[in-house]
Amino acid sequence: MAEYMERHHLVSKTKTLLIAPVVFLSIFFVVPVTNTFLRYFRFSEFSSVLSSQPLRGVAWFSLWQAVVSTLLTLTIGLPATWALSRFTFRGARLARGILVAPFVLPAVVVAAGVLAITDSRGVTPILWAHVVFNVSVVLRIVGPRWSMVNHRLEHAAATLGARPSRTFTLVVWPHIADAVISAATLVFIYCFTSFGVIAILGGVSRRTLESEIFTQAVRLGNTTTATALAVLQALIISLVFLVVRQLRRSPSLSLHVSAPQALRTKPTHRLTPFIIIAIAVAVVASPLVATVYRSLVINGHVSFTAWRTLFSGSLPALSVSLQSVVTTSLVFAIAAACICVPLALLVATTSAPRALFSLPLVVSAATLGIGLIITFNTSPYAWRSERWLIPVVHAVIALPLVIRALEPATRAIPSSLRHASATLGASPFISWVRVDLSILKPALLRATGLSMAISLGEFGATSFLSRSGSTTLPIAIAQLLGRPGVATQQAGFALAALMIIITVGVMSRA
Amino acid sequence: MKYSRVLIASLLVVIASACSSSSSNTSIDATPNEVTLLAYDAFTPQEGIFDAFTAATGAKVKVVTGGDSGVLVSKAILTAGNPEGDVLWGIDNTLLSRAQKAELLTNYEPVDYGDICVNYDKQWFTSRNIAPPTSLEDLALPTYKNLLTVQDPVASSPGLGFLLGTIAHFGADNWQGYWKSLKANGVRIASDWTSAYTIDFSGSSGKGKYPLVVSYGSSPPAEVLYAEKPIETPPTAVIESTCFRQTEYVGALRGSRNPNNAKKLISYLLDISFQESMPLSLFVFPVNEKAKLPVLFTKFAVAPENPLTLDPVDIEKNRDAWLSTWRDIIL
Repeated sequence: MAEYMERHHLVSKTKTLLIAPVVFLSIFFVVPVTNTFLRYFRFSEFSSVLSSQPLRGVAWFSLWQAVVSTLLTLTIGLPATWALSRFTFRGARLARGILVAPFVLPAVVVAAGVLAITDSRGVTPILWAHVVFNVSVVLRIVGPRWSMVNHRLEHAAATLGARPSRTFTLVVWPHIADAVISAATLVFIYCFTSFGVIAILGGVSRRTLESEIFTQAVRLGNTTTATALAVLQALIISLVFLVVRQLRRSPSLSLHVSAPQALRTKPTHRLTPFIIIAIAVAVVASPLVATVYRSLVINGHVSFTAWRTLFSGSLPALSVSLQSVVTTSLVFAIAAACICVPLALLVATTSAPRALFSLPLVVSAATLGIGLIITFNTSPYAWRSERWLIPVVHAVIALPLVIRALEPATRAIPSSLRHASATLGASPFISWVRVDLSILKPALLRATGLSMAISLGEFGATSFLSRSGSTTLPIAIAQLLGRPGVATQQAGFALAALMIIITVGVMSRA
Repeated sequence: MKYSRVLIASLLVVIASACSSSSSNTSIDATPNEVTLLAYDAFTPQEGIFDAFTAATGAKVKVVTGGDSGVLVSKAILTAGNPEGDVLWGIDNTLLSRAQKAELLTNYEPVDYGDICVNYDKQWFTSRNIAPPTSLEDLALPTYKNLLTVQDPVASSPGLGFLLGTIAHFGADNWQGYWKSLKANGVRIASDWTSAYTIDFSGSSGKGKYPLVVSYGSSPPAEVLYAEKPIETPPTAVIESTCFRQTEYVGALRGSRNPNNAKKLISYLLDISFQESMPLSLFVFPVNEKAKLPVLFTKFAVAPENPLTLDPVDIEKNRDAWLSTWRDIIL
């Protein structure tokens, strides 16, 4: 097996590669958000928001629940990532599929699943739902990195008498630290800006800044208050980014990189990885199982009516067919991935500052949604009702994540290979295709899956956009669950269950 | 820095174009063979119902949806005068004055109505030999402790309707006391209709713990139409005296590019064929008195002669204050 010892090296320092992603983000993100800010930001409103006791309470709750959710997610997610990127065993792929599936599910599905088990609202169900959603983030971002850490280093450390904990802190941690911090930051931001989960599980007393922004902007029509809150939220998230950057700046490490390691089929302590995976799967899968159960059982007896209705192709009470809903969702997901993954690759292969490309994580979905409506409403930019705007916005939202998913892999490409191919006479493009792309292939596949998943589940910014005959899966599920009648609701749960099963199936192969 | 220049340039272009206002005030429709109807997500008209309109006028109806009625109206207000379509469906009496203040519509008319009422699980009460409540006052009695689930009025339109109903019934000075007693009696506050009806409520698919729920006067016929297996009578019923009237309006959007077709579409929506299709597709009552109701509706849907009502102007004037008072009581 090829093995290289060298500093991580970035492919290209040319800024020209960045033109496309920068223009894209400027038009579809920076301009709309700036527009919202210019039109609705009032400094007086901002200071009155800061001095309001209830709103300070909302900010405090957002903050502490996000910290606790992140810690819990890491507690469940990191051991599972270790087990899945170190060992292979029967059912490992399925376990992986289950753990990453919730990412695409609408919040209402996961929340309803959690509620079916806990039977109460409040902090515990919120934390649980956040763990269910975010274990996949840890697995996706830390997993690829961990699987590249060379086993021999650990063996060497063990042979030299290091205890496992010491091996971990001295050998493994320096390699994965970056990815773990990156994942933790994302999980924190997701939980901090949580909206759907909070709406269903929080009741009236538990609110986050994001849900309050939505309430103010949409329910109460106070766009200026909403904008002030959005600025507060953006400031807090930016502060977190700054702190994280300080953390990362610490030891600039020499990576001892290798190609993804062969997985061990026979774990030394066979039980440990099994137990770890079993716990993670139990935590993540039980709300999903509850959803499938709910689609099958009515009044204590098993009924396949809802599934039969689904497979006959019709959705009760909705004027769209199942086929068109699934097609719409898939077309949007594929289109979003086609835009997002190439742009993310361009960013990930340059050494440009990342701040601009992290912006979509900082800004609340409602702010972006409002910006899109008030910006793209005059010709020749009257795009607000265009169908293509939906996958474009999905791509904007997915971009920061997809960049993060690709980065560890692009950084790990040994430059000696590139030099070798250049020496052998390959043009930069050819050597990029032969060397970089072939090494990046698994990472690119994962990034595509991630982008599609974000597109399938997105329910924030695009809920502000109008649609004509383009009902997506989350919208159809919300519609079915939003009507009286056992058959419609049952069909809603069956559709959610179908989404779970397909996702688990797809994710356990990708 | 190359890309900061690109950024600034594109910023300027878009902002400049956003500022240059378009003024097109013609009486001729811009796209005479298409008319756009903006509606909330739950707008699911009977299939093919607009074919007759297209045959008569030559204009296709493009239905554009986006969010629930609150999202829809907030969005439309943000760009009032430069609308996304020609006709707006689904502003109700709780949102009407907000739309008027923004001069969102050039003209509007009621198109349908329905009631927001407390529904109950019939079997829960008969199996326990308890008489179901018959009034708002009953809901605060110890007999009905921990049995009622309602929606957050800030986030949910039936929740707001129920709150307004209690204000209409008890008056602007006494509803607060009523809500305090509801709270003491264990009222459950759900975030939205879906979690109240499908998770908390015992009478529908969820089999929750609460046999009383705020829903619509037309929910019982929906339970029959969308039952798992064909049933004769709905498992739920409505407490008539709790009903708050919700009227939905249809109107021509100010700045519409197809004012003539907009007018034609509005009269089509008020005409008998569309009005008769509404009960079983949208679960609302037609305003057109000539429209006949389906049997399912005459038998099981409830629309009291004298429902609770409030003036839209009063609602707009007081809504924020009422909601914050309500929050203070409940939180």
